[in-house]
Amino acid sequence: MTDLSVRFDGVCKRYQHFSLENIHLELPTGSIMGFIGANGAGKSTTIRILMGLVHQDQGSVWVLSHRMPADQAAAKLDIGFVSEDMRLYGPATLAWHMNFLRPIYPRWDQAYAEALARRFDLKLEQKIKGLSHGQRVKAALLLALARRPRLLVLDEPTTGLDPVARMEVLGELMAVLADEDRTILFSSHNTLDVEQISDQITFIDRGRIIDSDDKEAFLDRWRRLRLVLPPDGVVPRLPGVVNVGGSSRLPVLTTNRFEPAMVSACNEVGATVQAVDTMTLEEIFVANVHSRRERLTA
Amino acid sequence: MNYSMVKSLILKDWYFQRTAILLSLAGGAISLAIVAFGGQAGFTIGLVLLVTILVMISAMTVMSNVLGERENQTLPFLMSLPISYLEYTSSKILGALLIFVPFWLAILAGSLALIVAGPTIHGFFAFTVIMAVEILVSTCLLIAVALVSESKGWTISAMVAGNLGINVVGYIVAHIPGIRDGMFGTRIIWRPAATISLAIEFALIAMLLGGAFFLQSRKKDFL
Repeated sequence: MTDLSVRFDGVCKRYQHFSLENIHLELPTGSIMGFIGANGAGKSTTIRILMGLVHQDQGSVWVLSHRMPADQAAAKLDIGFVSEDMRLYGPATLAWHMNFLRPIYPRWDQAYAEALARRFDLKLEQKIKGLSHGQRVKAALLLALARRPRLLVLDEPTTGLDPVARMEVLGELMAVLADEDRTILFSSHNTLDVEQISDQITFIDRGRIIDSDDKEAFLDRWRRLRLVLPPDGVVPRLPGVVNVGGSSRLPVLTTNRFEPAMVSACNEVGATVQAVDTMTLEEIFVANVHSRRERLTA
Repeated sequence: MNYSMVKSLILKDWYFQRTAILLSLAGGAISLAIVAFGGQAGFTIGLVLLVTILVMISAMTVMSNVLGERENQTLPFLMSLPISYLEYTSSKILGALLIFVPFWLAILAGSLALIVAGPTIHGFFAFTVIMAVEILVSTCLLIAVALVSESKGWTISAMVAGNLGINVVGYIVAHIPGIRDGMFGTRIIWRPAATISLAIEFALIAMLLGGAFFLQSRKKDFL
């Protein structure tokens, strides 16, 4: 049985204008999961439930073998958390924050914290309020990583950063993550960020998990087939087609269950496969969301 | 409960309040000196200053330590630490009270010393103690409302209600026969009415703080 760092089982959370419904989520230990959703899809609510900061109305949540939210204090001892809306104490220095956290976390690694400060080009004695947004994100990452957490939870850490700072933060994060084996949940509405560091992908839309798989499996099974049909031809029935676009003579089929045999199946019914395009994670995400929303409104 | 965690959180709050604490200490000492050596006018002005400083300390600690966490968006950082609602609530209540109570005690002790050492106003002893505890009740109300509501509007309303309450309670206490009689006399008188008044006030404090813990334990959203 796979060792899981995070398990959500039938989790629901209802607000007046938004609800998270029947969330099932499993994060195997040692994996890096990209958690992708549009703004307001429910990423932050899910993560807050994971952290014990928001209590679910239904369902069970286990994090590092701790039941949440009841055992949140014990669980959070092993979690490093950085969120887009998290701020450090402006009047204090980074060194103060390090000294504040050091006695709290038994695995706090001071040498590693100082090494990260050098790598992130952060000055320990500079006050947080004097740092740029990019530097503040790096400082928060430093404070999360130096705890040597078993689980790292990053909730939109690159949101609000300019492109240069975003690439810097991602680059540093990837370099740090390459150092060792960690379990990470990385949420973002930016698929490019997630694609770079994740090996598992979960899509969430309007409070529901709509798909979850290995990144490579996603990229392998999603394809766009560009067909040319004879004058009286019909679009072949293929498995997993979520969208048919293009024109009646030149249809474009998007499938989430691509197999090479589909090409010969098209040829057998008289359709010519002009091209089989791979899809980026962003295209997969958008196609996934659209097909689900169309199913719901149909 | 993780007491060392609570201690760390309290020390953190004190660190960010250190300048205000030192300024309040200095203000408190000056006010006491004015009360002691300022004559009749100084006595009144000094007492008003002392009460103002007490109100200011309670408002400052609550606004900065409790509401400031949400306003400055440091609450996600704080709540990401290995703490539960119990440690968070304990640290905020204790942190605020441990700043407030020493001032309150010093000012109460100073005021009582002046009453005892003065030539004519010994009868004010019981009234002063009851009103000082009423200020503590008002502070506990402020802390409880700020913690539970996390709203500036509600906290300011609680502050106004607390200050009005002090005046109302002052009027009521000054008209309780067991306290009123002898209030302007030259002897210290402590009657059962004073003990009952104090017991009611301490019961209110227990209810306010216990209520804050209870409501915090039932909260479902901490961010």
